[in-house]
Amino acid sequence: MTPHLARLLVGITVDILRSLAIAVGIVLITFFLIRMIPGDVVDVRGLEGSLTYAQQSAMRDDLGLSRGWIEQFFTWLSMISTGDLGVSSRFATPIVDLIATVLPSTLKLGLAALGIGLFFGIALPTLACVYPRSIFVGLVDFVTIWSITIPTFSIGILCVVVFAVWLGWIPAIGNFVVPAIILGMDIAGTIAKMLHEDMKDIEGADYIRTARAKGLSPARIVIGHILPNAFTIVIALAGLILAGVLTGALTMEVVFGLPGLGTLTLQAIKGRDYPVVQAVIIWLGLAVIFANLLTDLLQRFIDPRLRKS
Amino acid sequence: MSMIAPTGYSRYRMPALPLMTWISIGFIAVALIVTLIGPFLVTHDPYMFGADMNSPPSKEHWLGTDDQGQDVYSRLLIGTRLSLFYGASAACVALITGGLAALIAMALGPVTETVVFAVVDLIRALPGILFALAFVVAFEPSETSVVLALGISFAPNFALIARATYLQQMARPYTDAAKVLGAGRLRIALVHVLPNIGGALITQFAIILPRCIVSESVLSFLGLGVSPETPTWGRMIASAASFTEDAPHAVIAPILALSIVTFSLALIGDALRRRFDPARRRIAQ
Repeated sequence: MTPHLARLLVGITVDILRSLAIAVGIVLITFFLIRMIPGDVVDVRGLEGSLTYAQQSAMRDDLGLSRGWIEQFFTWLSMISTGDLGVSSRFATPIVDLIATVLPSTLKLGLAALGIGLFFGIALPTLACVYPRSIFVGLVDFVTIWSITIPTFSIGILCVVVFAVWLGWIPAIGNFVVPAIILGMDIAGTIAKMLHEDMKDIEGADYIRTARAKGLSPARIVIGHILPNAFTIVIALAGLILAGVLTGALTMEVVFGLPGLGTLTLQAIKGRDYPVVQAVIIWLGLAVIFANLLTDLLQRFIDPRLRKS
Repeated sequence: MSMIAPTGYSRYRMPALPLMTWISIGFIAVALIVTLIGPFLVTHDPYMFGADMNSPPSKEHWLGTDDQGQDVYSRLLIGTRLSLFYGASAACVALITGGLAALIAMALGPVTETVVFAVVDLIRALPGILFALAFVVAFEPSETSVVLALGISFAPNFALIARATYLQQMARPYTDAAKVLGAGRLRIALVHVLPNIGGALITQFAIILPRCIVSESVLSFLGLGVSPETPTWGRMIASAASFTEDAPHAVIAPILALSIVTFSLALIGDALRRRFDPARRRIAQ
């Protein structure tokens, strides 16, 4: 085995172990944070007046809520390790089914937004680099600061007011195109910011000067030499982008009245439906950890500079 | 950056601030003045319910009234103070817990460093508002839990900056000199290194502050923020969002205020970063 390959293997092992440790931490934190909430699903149902006291304690026993936290934790851990997400305490439906019903809607919104985000996030900085004195530089700055500071939900509400209430172009509830565009521009800002800064750094490198001296056109230098090197940053950001898509979809669904993971989570939080909240936060967290692990590994293979360290 | 060889920044001549940055400074100055003297500018009791609900802007109510008949203009002024206060508090919590924890952990040795940065990784793995969401749900929505939740979820940003700059400073002769003179590791970190990395931390603060204000409003919008009686901008947006047909003014006013202030803060933070981030300046040369 060459020392090079050994280093690569050690790096990969460390990456995987770190992700596993973080995953375990997320599961622990989420479980105990959620259990700290005062009041449980039985209290909520009790307040709604649909249960007698005897029924309430029977329901607690049934759901395992009367047992200690530690015991509940291990019961739950052995359950999810078999892939079973448990049953919603409120609707008595398996959580897998609940998530499966709303996931397509969230994925559709997320993928549409991701497509828009990737397109503008890559096109704008590229154009800004090829035409450094053009309006594209300003557009990159604008999209960047826009995405950091203007919350998507407030733009969403403004769009509802203008396009649904005043102009009547879109329905106030259940519109899909507008939230996808809003979320897409938000993601475009995240990508454009990192990509543009990286492209500017690379522009000063010696090999770019060489390419320029050879007489290559600015467009060829940017597309052929700068963009491929800067693109590693987009891959490195995949976890962050995924997280942006998921949490962004959460608020967009609430604003535009779309069914989805976000609406489901919010209802579960309000109804103190622990198992559902737990499942959603844990699986979103695990998705992000997995995306991060994947990008770390991918980077080790495609970026030779990382193999040395 | 142009295709022509970049000229770089001269040590003595900083580039002039763009017009937009000056306009932003103006907006923030107005927001700060409103924060200070807001209670003297209100025309109505911002907490008093009124009979005419969702009425459009008029001479009596400059920005109209909301669904409870409360004066939107007066609530907006008080909301400026509250939103800035909660946002700044959260950013301060993040600065102090993140920055200090990282510095002390780095000074104490590799074991504490590993532990603290494992926690940092953990918080970063629950991105965006997910951590704040889990935290606020666990401790009941309240002013304190919102500030703590946002503070903790933004603390990793400061911890990472503190670690990077601490390592830079430890490679400098003055820290060696302090070591030779017999200063302990904690003393070096807190008395000698901290003043030197303060600039980097404060620049990060300027970047995080608008995000804290925005996150507070998102939490409030999801019904997990400050209590309904507290008119932060997020709360105002949340309660008026159900009445967009009857009272669009009640939702547009806080959205504009929130957007203008966070946008301005971000522009100022960006200007600060460009001016005081030596790493980026070096790359520009």
